[in-house]
Formats: sequence, C-alpha cells, structure tokens
Amino acid sequence: MRRFLPDVMLLAAAAIFPYSVARIFLDTPIERTMGTAFKIFFFHVPMGWLCMLMALVCGIAAGIELRRRSTTASAVALAAAEIGFVCGLGVLLTGPIWGNATWGKPWTGDARQMSTALLWLILAAYLLIRHYGPENSRRLAAALAIFGAVDVPIIYYAVKLWKTTHPTTEVVGSLPPALWASLWPGLGALVLCTLGLMGIRIRQLLIAEELDDAWVRLADRRG
Amino acid sequence: MEALSAEPAAAAQAPDNTPDEYAPVAGRSLAEVEQVRQLESIAAQKAARDYQHIIWAYGILWALFAAYGIFLWRRSARLRADMSDLRRELGGREGR
Amino acid sequence: MRLLRQIRLLLVAELRQEIRSFEVVLTSAFFSLVMLALFALSLGAIPASAQVAAAPGALWLSVAFVGGLTLTRVFDRERESDTLRALLVAPVDRLAIYFAKAAIALLVLLIATAVLVPGLVVVFPAAAPMAERPLFTAALVVLGCVGYVAVGTLFAAGLATGSGKNVLLSLILHPLTTPVLMFNLVATRALLEAHPGADAYLGRMAAVDVILVGLGAWLFEPVLVGGGGSQRRAAARPGRGA
Repeated sequence: MRRFLPDVMLLAAAAIFPYSVARIFLDTPIERTMGTAFKIFFFHVPMGWLCMLMALVCGIAAGIELRRRSTTASAVALAAAEIGFVCGLGVLLTGPIWGNATWGKPWTGDARQMSTALLWLILAAYLLIRHYGPENSRRLAAALAIFGAVDVPIIYYAVKLWKTTHPTTEVVGSLPPALWASLWPGLGALVLCTLGLMGIRIRQLLIAEELDDAWVRLADRRG
Repeated sequence: MEALSAEPAAAAQAPDNTPDEYAPVAGRSLAEVEQVRQLESIAAQKAARDYQHIIWAYGILWALFAAYGIFLWRRSARLRADMSDLRRELGGREGR
Repeated sequence: MRLLRQIRLLLVAELRQEIRSFEVVLTSAFFSLVMLALFALSLGAIPASAQVAAAPGALWLSVAFVGGLTLTRVFDRERESDTLRALLVAPVDRLAIYFAKAAIALLVLLIATAVLVPGLVVVFPAAAPMAERPLFTAALVVLGCVGYVAVGTLFAAGLATGSGKNVLLSLILHPLTTPVLMFNLVATRALLEAHPGADAYLGRMAAVDVILVGLGAWLFEPVLVGGGGSQRRAAARPGRGA
C-alpha cells in the first residue's frame, strides 16, 4: 500500500484537477475589479502556501536529520526543498503576470512578493549547498534549512516593517466566500500532486543512498 | 459608467410630460452608440489581454511541474542504470 | 562560569594572534573604505530626500560584504593549518568556540563600522543624525552586527572544516541574513527621518538577535561535529553518480 501511495495521490490529483479548472472557469463569477485575470489567483495562492509549507517541512526534517542522523529525514528535507523551490518559482513567475494584468506593474515590492522571493532564495541556496557543497555540507545544509524555516515569520514581519516606510494599497482585500469555495479543489489537486511527486522523490533518494552503500560494501569486500 | 446610464434615462423621461403629443422614438444618439462601442472594445481588449495573461500563467505553472516530472524521470533512469551496473559487477564476480 | 572562562581564554588567544599581524582588522577596514568609495561614486550625487533611503542601504550592504570577508578571513586562518578540527577535539566546550569566534568577528566588524559610519556621514549629508545621536547609532550598529555575526559564524565555521569551497559562504549568508539586514535598514531609516518610534525598532532588532544567537549556538555543535562518509562513497563508485 505504502509503495503505491504516491501514484494514488497523483491519480487523485489528475482526477480532481479537471473538476477544479472547470469550476474556476465556468462556475465562478468574474471578480469585479480585477476581471478575468483573477483566475490566476486560484493556483497562484495555493502554490504560495505550499512553498511556505515545504520550507517548514524542510526545516523540521533537517532538524530531525541533525538530531538522529536519519537518512529518511535527509531525503524528506531535500525533496521538500525541491518541491518548495518549484512552487516558489511558480508563485514568483505567475505573481508578476497577475500583477501586470491587474495593476499594470509586474513587480510592486509588495510585502508578500518580497518575502516569497527571499524564502525562495533560501531554498535555492539550500539546493545549491546540497548539490555542490563539500563533504560535510549535509549538516551545513540542514542548519541552513532550519534557519530558513525559522526565518519564514521573521522575513514576513521584516518585509511588512520595511513596507511601512513605503505605503501602498492592499492588493487583495477580503474575498467573497464563493471565490474561496472555488479555491479548495485547486488547492487539493495541488497538494496531492506535490505530495505524490515528493513521495516519488523521497523513494528515489533512499534508493540512491542504498545503492551508494552497496557500492561502498562492494569496494570494501574487494579491497 | 454613471454618466452613460444617466443620459438615456433622462431622454426616456422627456416624453412622459406630454403624453398626447406625437413623440419621436427615444433611442441612442449616434454619439452614444459610438461611446458604447468604444467602451465595449476597451472591455474586449481587456478580456483578451486577461486571457493572454491567464494562458501564460497556467502554461508556466504546468511547464514547471512537467519540468520537475522530467527531472524525476531522468533521475530514475540514472538510478536504474546504476542498479544494472551494480548487478553486472556482482554477477561478474560470482561468475569468476 | 566555566563557559565564560573558556570563552575568555579563547578570545585572548584570538586577540593575541590578531595583534601580531592585524591582518583581519586591516583588510576589513580597508575593504570598508573601498565600499565607501564605491558608494560615494555611485550614489554621492543623489538629492537629500533620496539619501535618507540610500544611506541605510549603503551602510548595511557594506556591513554585509565586509562581514562576509571578515568571517572568511577569520576561519581561513583555522583552515590553513586545520586548527579548528584540533580545537573541536580539545576538551573545550563547543559553545565557547562558537562564542569566541563570534566575538572576534563582531569586534572586527565593529571596527569596520567605525570607519563606515563617519564615512557615510561625510558622503551623505542626510546621514547627519547618525553623528548627532552617537549612542543610538552605536546601539543600532552593535545590535545589527550581532545578528549578522550569529548567523555568519555558524556557517563560516561549518565551511571551514570542509575542503575548499568557501565561495559558498556568500551563497548561504546573504539570503539568510537579509531579514536581519532589513530590520537594521528600517531602524536606521527611522533614525535618519527622526521617526518617533525609532527606539521600538531597536527592541525588535534585539529580539531577532536573541533568536538568531540562540539558534546559532544550538546548531553549532551538530553542524560541526560528525564524521563525513560521503568522500569514501564518491571514491567507491565508478563513473556514474546518483
């Protein structure tokens, strides 16, 4: 059962996805001030949440990795960072597109934009260290991930504080409940899709680890 | 928008004051029609631009996920190759 | 108490080594001058209203770059003779190593800011409040540098025990320290604009510092101590990597 869990999740995501798109485009009223471009919101915002969630997951897994020297935790941390990186990139690319459509400017330096960008930079740094770091870099990368997770609220607060010196109008005010209701299927599809991909990636990393061990044992037996 | 809707309303009310007399049909003047057309074309342009933005945004999102999928697939192909290397190595040893 | 004594001992040793050559202090102070010259050239001609925004940025960007250099130099010395590893096996509390290293880096950084702050006041006339409220400025600079050094020492030490590759330091350091620098930036700007809530910003900076120092001290030992097995792994396999 556990073996097929990621595949089941991906299949479920594939099933929910058409429903969510149909609901977003056919059943949801067009938002008054932002027009049709508002439809970007339904995948943009969940991806932002997922990016933050993955950064937290990565930090927690990295903490466990440091405490227990667990290879599973290490794999979870790397997979979460990769997914968070992809989601963050999605948010950072769709955000300016939406911004360009609604208020004519791709980058306004809004608190949310800036904090997502900073978080994404930390995730990118984590991946770079994991891939190109020296031999003790795993523990270093884990510390980076923990700092990153702790930084999430600090970043958000810092950017808000920083924005108080440059006031701008709120981008998204309160939303009518009908719009929120259309958000949930999209969020569900995205969560299932990312968790499925993450599961596959974790399994890959664990297999790679075992293969490494096997090569080492082989070399030991020969040498 | 306010100004546009107010004017035809005023025109419609005018004949009410003199019900017995012959009243010309109160339609939109040519200038009003022009104005409406203009607004419609602005709205159409906006909708078209919005659609373009949506297509770009959704396209990028799915392209990203597809890219990650391809990345996973390539990784697993490499793992498989590594596994068969190891197997061959082990098989070669046992054969000797 | 034992911890404090060990920190003092290590710090005295560090200082003695530094006084012998003044290498780190001089390079950092010189680099601060270079940064000042660069900012004077690039932003010196902007109007006073814009200087209020530019001067804090110039200050903290310089601190970020000078800090990176300082941390690299402080740990380079250890790496050249692999003394950090020796220090880690010595019967010294690891926390003492962390705090001693952080203290020496902080000291060097503060000397660099002693060059930077007066220089910025000269380059940007709008930065004059920094000279008018020296105590506030000192508190601001110390609190700002503490947060930076708390993060930086951990990662510079982690990279120093590895082989080569301390280019990675700036890669880790700058994204992670941006939030701290943003707090500093806001507080500095509040000072320059004579904002009434400027003191509250100092409190926030202190809170962030406490979090970062705590986290750095907590992570120092697990990050630095532990055997590396991946080198053997890389050597064992032929051609392909996973």
